[in-house]
Amino acid sequence: MLEISNLHVAVNGTPILKGIDLTVRAGEVHAVMGPNGSGKSTLAHVIAGREGYEVTAGEIRYLDRNLLELAPEERARAGIFLAFQYPVEIPGVANIQLLKSALNQVRRARGEAELDAMDFLDYVQTRLALVGMKEELLYRSINEGFSGGEKKRNEILQMAVLEPRLAILDETDSGLDIDALKAVADGVNALRSHERAMVLVTHYQRLLNYIRPDRVHVLAAGRMVKSGGPELASELEERGYGWLDTTAEVGEARA
Amino acid sequence: MRIAQEDRAAYVAAGRSAMEAGPSWLKLDRHEALENFFRAGFPAREAEAWKYTSLAALERQQLHSPAPGVEFLPDGLPAGHLLGYGNGYALSRSSALPESMLGRLDAALARTTLPAAARFGTLAGRESMLVALNTALWREGLVLHLPAQWRVDEPIFVVRTIDEDGAMVHERSLIVLEPGAEATVVELCNGRGDYWRNPVTEIFVGAQARLLYVRLVEDGVAATHTGALFARQAQDSRLDVLSLALGGQLTRQDIALDLAGAGASATLHGCFLAGGRAHVDHHTRIEHTAAHTQSREIFRGIAAGRGCGVFDGLIVVRPGAQKADAQQSSRNLLLSPHAEIDAKPQLEIYADDVKCGHGATVGRLDESQVFYLRSRGIGDAQARALLTHAFALEACAAVAPGTLRDWLTQRLDGALDRLVEGGRK
Ligand SMILES: Nc1ncnc2c1ncn2[C@@H]1O[C@H](COP(=O)(O)OP(=O)(O)OP(=O)(O)O)[C@@H](O)[C@H]1O
Ligand SMILES: [Mg+2]
Repeated sequence: MLEISNLHVAVNGTPILKGIDLTVRAGEVHAVMGPNGSGKSTLAHVIAGREGYEVTAGEIRYLDRNLLELAPEERARAGIFLAFQYPVEIPGVANIQLLKSALNQVRRARGEAELDAMDFLDYVQTRLALVGMKEELLYRSINEGFSGGEKKRNEILQMAVLEPRLAILDETDSGLDIDALKAVADGVNALRSHERAMVLVTHYQRLLNYIRPDRVHVLAAGRMVKSGGPELASELEERGYGWLDTTAEVGEARA
Repeated sequence: MRIAQEDRAAYVAAGRSAMEAGPSWLKLDRHEALENFFRAGFPAREAEAWKYTSLAALERQQLHSPAPGVEFLPDGLPAGHLLGYGNGYALSRSSALPESMLGRLDAALARTTLPAAARFGTLAGRESMLVALNTALWREGLVLHLPAQWRVDEPIFVVRTIDEDGAMVHERSLIVLEPGAEATVVELCNGRGDYWRNPVTEIFVGAQARLLYVRLVEDGVAATHTGALFARQAQDSRLDVLSLALGGQLTRQDIALDLAGAGASATLHGCFLAGGRAHVDHHTRIEHTAAHTQSREIFRGIAAGRGCGVFDGLIVVRPGAQKADAQQSSRNLLLSPHAEIDAKPQLEIYADDVKCGHGATVGRLDESQVFYLRSRGIGDAQARALLTHAFALEACAAVAPGTLRDWLTQRLDGALDRLVEGGRK
């Protein structure tokens, strides 16, 4: 579904990603771990299509298309979803307004009819229940004044509403209490299917206790330095990143 | 600069017909005001208050007093009292209120027994030459005078249309709410042609009275609008002013609020749109004269194309105004590289126990917000339009939710759509 090969990315002329290879197949869940500043969010943003990141080499293919050619909204309509590490506040635009426009855009792209107001509300109710979010938050401005946990839940709500093919969750588990963490995990697990894939960027094992990944990768200084099965996550939790040779050759890290 | 003899004819002609009727004190006032205007002329760029706005084109223009015209009633006007003015003449009236409460100002001033008459001219003063010209040349006019405890529930709409090229129209309004009275007034300015509109409005809000006053400017694309609004508030009164400047070639609004009674509170909200080559200038002055007074000022400006906006907001806290609380926010959005907005907040504080704050920003759309929306499947243009609307709508928050707010929001949305569309071309 997603094939990243030899991806090099620079920001303002500074190389950040230095040859990433990552293949994610439909039905798989991958975890990406790694120290602060290693390039995890950069990778997530490049997949989502954020401007300001210069791809200096390599490519990304998604469902057999050249992903880098597509505008961010085209990627979203093609089924890519990024849950932001730092969700953006948008005063004056109601959460529900975003959900409705976004869903209708995505449905149109999938060749489905737009939902009318009543059907849309019914549908959103079911998603709210799934992520355990207060209905009141639907009518507030997007993320404005939301607590840290509410913002993260809101990302998962959007994901649950849009039902993406490929979801990238950038530290959605950070700063969550146990209940919120479970709600996020429930949201993710509910979406898990053989047609969908997920990439979880995380620092902690605890999310992976609820969502068992197929593969775990370590990103350090812009390179994938190690990949393994779920047991790699617990090993990292115990030993940290110090024991890894972060200058390792790219080839070793191929998944 | 003084008005040359050969350029005075149009003003003299307009003055002659305006001064035909009315009590002698008023005639005298008018004569004096016209002489003052001739001596001092139009405000010049050298004056600090006119640094960013030039009336040179207006000065050169051949102007005349028009004949009564027509009124353009906009779509979906909510239910309420309705007064229609065409080229400055009162054309229609649909209201159950007696004429002595809502009617023509000239008639009210002719009956000097009315207490409202004594207030006329006391706020507008003599300093501004544009006000002087209005004083000399206004005709018919508008008065709203509500007795104590009188509440008018439905909004009072005043539609003012000008539809003649080269017309100059000096509209005059006097609004007096006696203690405890309540009303909502919406003045809509629209029209067609390269006319000049120069309205002056004086507002007195009595003790515990409440007034919502909206000025919706939808003047024609070639029009010049120089408006002056003066308000004085007695104790524990509440005044909400909303200025929506959505049309016209050159719009200048001078708004001065005086919180003269203890416990008075005011909101002054505004939103202006400047597209094409339009120029929109708001000069506001909020004076805290009495103790425990509160003001909230929120302005949102959006400029596109080669449009230019100015916000100059002064807050003065007088020595007697202890515990005054004043907050001002001016946020401005530039949608194109050639658009320009100058924002100048000013505080003058002469009391020591006060709470005052202000903030002014001029910027572009936040790209991280644009990306967030796009990453959810919303197209680039739609994302930008959504953010621009949200930005502007903050100014309408002063109006309570309901049919009036919905209608104002619609007017603003429509104007924004045209601005964003025009900016893209
Ligand atoms: N716009 C930018 N301008 C300059 N440097 C940037 C920019 N964006 C990212 N960087 C740099 O790129 C590096 C990688 O940042 P990134 O946010 O991808 O790290 P991360 O792995 O997500 O870290 P964390 O675990 O703290 O979230 C950092 O050194 C960061 O400072
Ligand atoms: Mg990050």
